[in-house]
Amino acid sequence: MIIPIRCFSCGKVIADLYERYVELIGTPMDAEGNTMPDGDAMDELGLNRYCCRRMILTHVDLIEKLLRYNPAERDIIKVAQRG
Amino acid sequence: MPSWAPLSATELAERQRGLSEEQLQQRRIVNVNPETVTHVSATDIPGHWGPGQDDSWDIERFKQNLRFKFHQNKPYDSAFSLIGVDASIANAYRRILMSEIPTLAIEDVFIFDNTTIIQDEVLASRLGLIPLTGGQEALTWLRWYRKPPPKDDFASQATWPYDVDDNDADSATPNDHNTIVITLKVECRWATQAEDGRDGRRLAKEGETDPNERYVNSNIYAHQLVFEPQGDQAKHFSGENAIKPVNPDILIAKLRPGQRINLRCHCIKGIGMDHAKYSPVATASYRLLPDINITQPILGADAKKFQRCFPRGVIDLVKDGDSREEKAVVADPMKDTVSRECLRHDEFKDKVKLGRIRDHFIFSIESTGQFESDELFLDSVRLLRAKAERFNRHLTELEDGR
Repeated sequence: MIIPIRCFSCGKVIADLYERYVELIGTPMDAEGNTMPDGDAMDELGLNRYCCRRMILTHVDLIEKLLRYNPAERDIIKVAQRG
Repeated sequence: MPSWAPLSATELAERQRGLSEEQLQQRRIVNVNPETVTHVSATDIPGHWGPGQDDSWDIERFKQNLRFKFHQNKPYDSAFSLIGVDASIANAYRRILMSEIPTLAIEDVFIFDNTTIIQDEVLASRLGLIPLTGGQEALTWLRWYRKPPPKDDFASQATWPYDVDDNDADSATPNDHNTIVITLKVECRWATQAEDGRDGRRLAKEGETDPNERYVNSNIYAHQLVFEPQGDQAKHFSGENAIKPVNPDILIAKLRPGQRINLRCHCIKGIGMDHAKYSPVATASYRLLPDINITQPILGADAKKFQRCFPRGVIDLVKDGDSREEKAVVADPMKDTVSRECLRHDEFKDKVKLGRIRDHFIFSIESTGQFESDELFLDSVRLLRAKAERFNRHLTELEDGR
């Protein structure tokens, strides 16, 4: 759901790298709008072993979807409806 | 012939003359054959090589052969060679590194309020895995906390406390000598013009989708944990030495407006044997140094093919003196992965012998950031020594009949 704190296999802390990873692969690097390949981004973050690489590479951030259902804050829906 | 078979007169005479350097070197090698691995066990056992010579372990010879060499020594990632020890010793160091060196981690979480979509138990588990650091001296000053068994575990409760430490009678109750308190109190809300200089609601209306723009405190990071010194801790954990997460940007939870977290954590000293969160290393591993022995020269096109059987940098091609052909030589066996690819080709079958050196351990220790990697290895040496001394003391007590 949310990025795990540590790699399941080796115990390296990865929760602080996920946002940087998304940033790296999402920002265009050159004039043609090409972004950094996944592998290069993981190399830059210092993820060398394949156990840590799969944690970042295969993670689906489902919490973003669940956060849309917020009973404490009906305003979100109201804002969306008004807009 | 088995090692215990009787020796002929000539063989006995040969053995008494002593072994050549080459023969001694050969004994250090584990043979890696196409299908099997042979000569795996250490041979420095009395009588292993039969009568006529004694190859048992000897302190003087051990001191001569023991070597230590760093390949890389970054603070939290080091690689080094430990040469001349038995596999049991090297493995003991590795296991102590992973499971017996104490570190600090969150153990108990008291949740007063949690209206986020991360469940209490998931949140507690995530908090526990955050590596915490502080002043090294202050951390050693910290005593052990002995956690009482769970309330519903009657069997454990009946035997508790099974061995009370006389020097530290208070170890079963949390106090300022054995427990660190950390709190987290956050609430997510819409960004407002008055407080944040931007109106989150208006931005949302205009189509802004970035949660960091629309809300305040939508992402909770490890640096938002607040360390609260108790009693004597104020003077030990002040300023630089304060308890803090190693990685300040660890994402703990994601919130939306109106959601709150209010909790208090008790951190204690523990070892990796009890829970992996206490382990001071991400990985601590070793491998044996590969050994490539080219018995007959490999020349020309074969040499090129031979080079491609290994990872880059393992085999070099040099010009052979007379024939001006290219000849394969071993450049850096450390880079080899011992894939045995070269043994699959018939042309190399009798020209090369692969192996690993039995007493050459290439350690690689990656620390999670509480302690430096080289310091951790020294700690493991100290711990093994302490354990050996304790064992020795118990044996003496047994002999004395105490």
